[in-house]
Order: sequence, then C-alpha cells, then structure tokens
Amino acid sequence: MNSSLCDDAASRGEKARVLVVLPMYGGSLPVGRYCVDALRNLGHTVEVFEAPDFHSAFSALKGLRVTTDRLEYLENSFLQVVSQAVLAKVETFEPDLVLALAQAPLSRQALKRLRRDGVATAMWFVEDHRLFTYWRAFAPYYDFFAVIQKDDFLDKLEELGVEGALYLPLAALASFHKPVDLSPVEKRRFGADVSFMGAGYPNRRLAFRQFTGYDFKIWGTEWEGEPLLQRHVQLGGARVSPEDAVRIYNATRINLNLHSSVHTSELVGRGDFVNPRTFELAACGAFQLVDERSLLPELFACDELVTFSSVEELHGLIRDYLEDEEARQAYALRARERVLREHTYEHRMQALLDFVRAKRPSWPAVRRTLESALHGAQLPSELTAELGQLLESLGLPADASFDDLCWAVRQRKGTLTELETALLFLQEWKKQYA
Amino acid sequence: MKKALVIQLARFGDIIQTKRLILTLIGRYDEVHLAVDSSLVPLARLVYPQLCVHGLAAHRGAGSPAEVFAASRMLFGRLASERFDAVYNLNFSRLNFSLSALFDADSVRGYAMRSGQPEVPLWARLAFRWTRKRRIAPLNLVDFWAYFARNPVCAGEVNPVAARGGGGIGVVLAGRDSRRSLPPAVLAACVQAVFEGTGGPAITLLGTAAEKTLARQLMRHFSGPMVERTVTLAGKTGYSDLAEVVGTLDTLITPDTGTMHLAAHLGTPVQAFFLSSAWCFETGPYGMGHRVWQGLVQCSPCEENRPCPVSVACLAPFADKRFLQVLAGKAAEAYPEHLSGLVSMFDAVGVTYLPVFGEDMAAPERRELRRLVAEHVCPETANAGAGLIGLSAMQDMTLQDSLGRFLFSESDWMLDAAGRDFPDVADVPGFC
Repeated sequence: MNSSLCDDAASRGEKARVLVVLPMYGGSLPVGRYCVDALRNLGHTVEVFEAPDFHSAFSALKGLRVTTDRLEYLENSFLQVVSQAVLAKVETFEPDLVLALAQAPLSRQALKRLRRDGVATAMWFVEDHRLFTYWRAFAPYYDFFAVIQKDDFLDKLEELGVEGALYLPLAALASFHKPVDLSPVEKRRFGADVSFMGAGYPNRRLAFRQFTGYDFKIWGTEWEGEPLLQRHVQLGGARVSPEDAVRIYNATRINLNLHSSVHTSELVGRGDFVNPRTFELAACGAFQLVDERSLLPELFACDELVTFSSVEELHGLIRDYLEDEEARQAYALRARERVLREHTYEHRMQALLDFVRAKRPSWPAVRRTLESALHGAQLPSELTAELGQLLESLGLPADASFDDLCWAVRQRKGTLTELETALLFLQEWKKQYA
Repeated sequence: MKKALVIQLARFGDIIQTKRLILTLIGRYDEVHLAVDSSLVPLARLVYPQLCVHGLAAHRGAGSPAEVFAASRMLFGRLASERFDAVYNLNFSRLNFSLSALFDADSVRGYAMRSGQPEVPLWARLAFRWTRKRRIAPLNLVDFWAYFARNPVCAGEVNPVAARGGGGIGVVLAGRDSRRSLPPAVLAACVQAVFEGTGGPAITLLGTAAEKTLARQLMRHFSGPMVERTVTLAGKTGYSDLAEVVGTLDTLITPDTGTMHLAAHLGTPVQAFFLSSAWCFETGPYGMGHRVWQGLVQCSPCEENRPCPVSVACLAPFADKRFLQVLAGKAAEAYPEHLSGLVSMFDAVGVTYLPVFGEDMAAPERRELRRLVAEHVCPETANAGAGLIGLSAMQDMTLQDSLGRFLFSESDWMLDAAGRDFPDVADVPGFC
C-alpha cells in the first residue's frame, strides 16, 4: 500500500471537518462562501449548509398578507424546520466544528442540542454589534464567538459569560479578490475616475453629493430617492455580483471606501471595525481612499492605505491622487502585499481554528486513516494505485482520513464508480459490524 | 438484452421470500441476477438455478475489512459492467443504500441513493407505517417485495400446493431467536401429538451444529417408539442436503425459520408455530395448504429485542392439552385460548391466512387495511371488489377513513413521490 495513504492518524490531527452554515441572505453570505473556500484551501473537509436555498420559501411567507402575529408564528416555525435541517446535516456529516455566519438559521434550541452532543459551534458575527443588538440573545449559546470589534464588545461578551470570544477582523479571498486583466469594453463599462461600491446609507448619500462633478460611478443598491446622485448610480441601483465588483475595483482609478452609518450628523463616522471592502480593494491591487477607523492602524500601515477623516479631506485627496498615478500604484501594491501576508480568509480561518484548538486540547477528533480502516492490511497494488488516483481527482491530500474520503465520494453526483461504491460499502460494513 | 438485478442482503428465509418478485422478473427480463451475502450463494443457486447469483460480503464474518473492500471492488466492477436495466434493491439498510450508488438512481426500484441522498420509495414508506401496527399487518413479506414490480405473477404460481412427500415428520429445532421457538418439553409434546396423529412415521430433527444439544434435550422427552423412529441431522446438512430432506417430508414442524420457507418453496406441508415477535401475517409460509398456529395474547406480536414483561405468556397455549388434541387430529371439544389456528390461502393480492379456530379481534381492521393496500398496488382487483378473500362487498367506510389517515401521510398527497413506485408499469403485460 502506498505509504502516503497510511500515515499515522495522529500526524494528521490538524485537519478538521467543518460545517459552514450560511445565512439565507445578506452581507455575511459572501463572507461565508469565502470562509468555505479558505477552509478548503487549508485542506479541511468542508460541508456547506445552503440556507439561501430556503430563502424563497421564507420570502413566500412574507407575501401571504396575513396578520402579523400569524406571520411571526409561521416564520418562527419555518426557522425551526431549517434549524432541524442543520441538525440533520450535523448528524450525517459529524463535523468537528459548526461555523455559522451572522444571521445563520440556527435556533437556540438547535445550539443547545449541539452543545449537549459535544459538537463545537462558532459564530463569526461580521456585523456591528451596536446596530445588530440581537447578538446578546445568541452569543451565550455558541462555544466560540468571533467578532469584528474589540474593547467594549469583548467586555460585554465576557460579562455575558461568553468564554470563547475572539476578535477576528474581516479579510479578502486572494484567489478571488485579485488584479484582473480587463478588456477595453470592460474598462469602459466598469471604469471611472472615482467609484463607490456599496449600499446607499444616509451618510454616503450626503457625502457623495459633493462629488457629482467628477467622473463618478456609484454601484450597488438602495440609492433611490437621491436626485443629485441618480445619473451616477449604475445599473439602476441593481445588485452587483462579487465578480463584477472585482472588475469595478480593478477598473477604477480611485475607489472610495466610506464605512456605512445610519446617522447623518457625522458623515465620516470614525467607527471601529474595518469593512470587507477595505481588504477586498487592497487584495485587488486597487487604490482606495478609506475613512479612518480605530481598528485600521493595526491592520494596515499608513503607507499602505490613504485615509481621510472628513468629507473635505476626502475631496482634497481625490484631487491629489487623480493626478498621481505612481503614488496610487505604490499604495495599492503595498496594501495588496499586506493583505496577502496577513489578511486573507485563510489567515482568519487558521486563527479561528487555532483558537478553538487552544481552548479544546483534544480538538479536532483524530480520524481513522484508510490504513487503520483496513486494519493495516495490504491491498493489491492496482487497488492502491486506483485509490491514489481517486484521492487526486477528489482534490484530497494523500493522507486524507477514511471518513473524509468517503464524505468526498458522497458529494459526487450521479452514479459512482465501483471503487467509490466499494469505499462507501466498506464504511457502512464497518459501522454495522465494528 | 434486458437485464435486472435483485439485491437481497438479508438472511436464508428472506432469499426464499423474494421468490414471487424473482419469478415476475424472470418473465420480463432476458437475464435476472441476484446479489446475496456470500454465505448464502449456494442456497440462492439451489432455489434459483436460472439466475446469475453474485455473492458479496454483507454479513459479519465475511473477512477482514481489506478483504471486504477488495472483494467488493471486484464484484462491483462486474455488476457495473452488466448495465442492468432495472435494479431491485430490497433491504432498508446502509449497505443496500451504499451499493445502490453504483447504479443510475432512476433504474433502482426500492431503496436508492440519489446524489448522496438515500431515498425510500412510497411503497416502502407505506410498509413502514403499517408495521407500526403489526397486529393488523395487511401483507406477507413475499407479497410486499413482489409489489416492487407492478402486477407480479399470481401468488398461486410461486410455490407448489403443499402435498405430503412420504418422508415422515421433520422438526426444526429452533429459530434464530429462542423466544420465538418452543422449548424442548413443549416441542416434544407437539411432535408426539403429530407423530401419534399420523401413525408414527419417521422423525427427522433439523438444525445447525449449535443445536445438537437441543436435539438431545428434545429426545429426552420423546417416547421409546419416537426415539426409535428419530434421526438427528442437526449440523449435518448443507443447503442441498437440507432441501433434499425437507422436500420428501410429509410435514415440517417449525417456528418461523428459513427452513420453513424452504419447505413452502418445495411444496412440503408446514405446521408452523408462531409466537412472541413472530407474526404469520407478515412472514407466514407462502403457498396453499400450510397450517400456522399463532400465539395470540394482548401484546402479540411483540418487539424481538425488548425483554418480555409477561414471561412469554404466548407460549402457554402451545402446551395446552386441547391444542395437542388438535395437532393429533382428534376432534376437540374446546379450543385453547390465546391461540389461533390458520390455514394459508390466496386471494388476488397474495397469500392470506384463514382462521380455523381462535378469535382474532384485529381481523376486521386488517381486512380493511388490506383492501386499502390492494387499492394501491392492484387497483383493478380492489375496485372490482372481488378476489379478496374475507373481504365483504360492503366496505366499512368509517374504518377505512381512519385507516386511510393511518396509512397515507400528508407528504404522499403533497409531494410527487408516488410516480417513482412503479416506473416499469409501461412494459408490463396483462394483470393476472
């Protein structure tokens, strides 16, 4: 048997099985998908709970035109069903960790069940805790609660008795957020001197009124009712795909990055957390002007990002940098290098799993290798070779665990080959007679 | 050339109980294959000489994991290369589900794996529901499996009518679960009654090597003439020898065992003792002319794996003198309580059991449930209101209403699952 297939299980204890529970919709949905990619890139076995598939049914409830108490009852009942579906997935996949993104449909009852069953749960709450205050009702039910804010939020979590809280800033997915070659048509379509990509929050609406004299494109939703900006809003305010966002970042000379605020008293909010756009723009090698955030200096140096603290200052910076391509490129390059070095989703997932491992010494569970599943017996050489090819085609490392191999086989669509079927048959045979 | 594969990974008796389905498929496909556990290949070849039988490592003791894996890989390669038009996957087990992944899910009747998701067809889901009320079980297992194909061969074509073979009495010492078997003293009295009632013929004791002690214990209770006429074959017969012996008997006295089904397959009259978790309406001998003695107490049939809280009360009637009189063929002044004597018969659905004595309070409900099930699998018969033994033309609509709600769930009504039950309906000729 190929020795690479037979490594001691203990030497592979670092790899985990992670079930990522996506939200049904919203800003944390793409972040969840990036986490999936990052975990896979790190060699972990990942299964995804595709909550967005349930969204249409959920939306249908809202279209019923029934009394509010009845609608609330129906929505809660529906969410309980979806939670049960997550539990069923856990039962089948047997993950080492259930990673939920903000708004993931996991009820408190389901979280209690997972804790009782000893399944580690983590929430990456990629929201502003001051706006989304419901975190209080859920945080104590997660074993690990990762947040994008520090200080008072971590203190509050500690007061609530949440022991597994950690600061985990947002990031970029280097394989996706990257410099791209654009055709002349794409450059025309997506390019501009100045662009903004994001939703039309009140502070942005007011601030951007001052830039209507520029070749200025606004991309994203919720810009209705802003006559001064209408001619700048692209695609009629339609949602922009993540792929097109990357093209926009790449095609734009100056990307504005003004963090959102529902308040209009202060257009530049000087808040704490750093939004995903900051990392994504940097990873794309795109130049950005970003508002000052209290947590930004520890993530990027001042020669990596150009910041502003007022709309007036932003105005001046736009004028300066539109004329200075060399400076733009230098900042963009340094920012991209910083992201690749420290701020990818792979880094974040590694940090999260390291945190979990530190809190739970025997985590993740050591799983059987194929060799141990076969009790160390030799297989015919041609069968060993076939297995090697299968691992390669599944994109699994040669030392993948037996259960991970079987799981990957189960993900295949349509009929399975005789080798794949024999693996599943062996797994069931062992379950039955072990 | 049209080919079908039947996957039957259960035990001795189950392989024989697949017969009605297999005979149906033999009439519809050019080539029929059967996959069974390796240990049962000789039996399968004996019972179905016309089939291509494949053995796979489905049971405990099939070898080391590496051996199981290598052998499975090799066999699955052969099965895949056969390119079956239909695969009948009959057991609700993880092994069956995993094996079904080898085939196009649309070609699988029974338990299938569709893109990693195990699927239970509506027909099997109905059966799961009616097994929640086993007392009113409407269908024999042979017929349940047969109806994985639409319009199976007539029940009467499956096994020969039971007829004496001249070889005396065969006695199966025990079944797999000891609680379902008669203890030696009780069994000896029953054998003696039959022995005396049939003029003292030869007695052949049948069983595994592990039951040799049981044979000795049984014979201690035999009278001298019985001992003289008794031969013990426990542990001495392979499937072929067993079939040879059983096929010549006048009658086989047995609990619910694989040998009982072998006797029915061969047309040897069966006198079967059903008690504890054994329930003749589910797994009674298939064919015309067999007799079943069914223990019938409040908790019959019980769950096999749960301890008995009433000291196996269903055993007592088998030791009742009135029962022994019946066994001996003497006119009985009164019948024993908590026991039902039944004979096997056919109706348009399949095998059924008619009571000769003993009152089965669940009979009306079972009858109506059978009518509902018949509507599902052979609507022509059920709608005609004919051919169902024991079913009156008048239907109990109140009972049918409550049983309908018991049998059919909301998901049957709302989700499109029924269509997958009989995908081969188009190529089936007339109804028998």
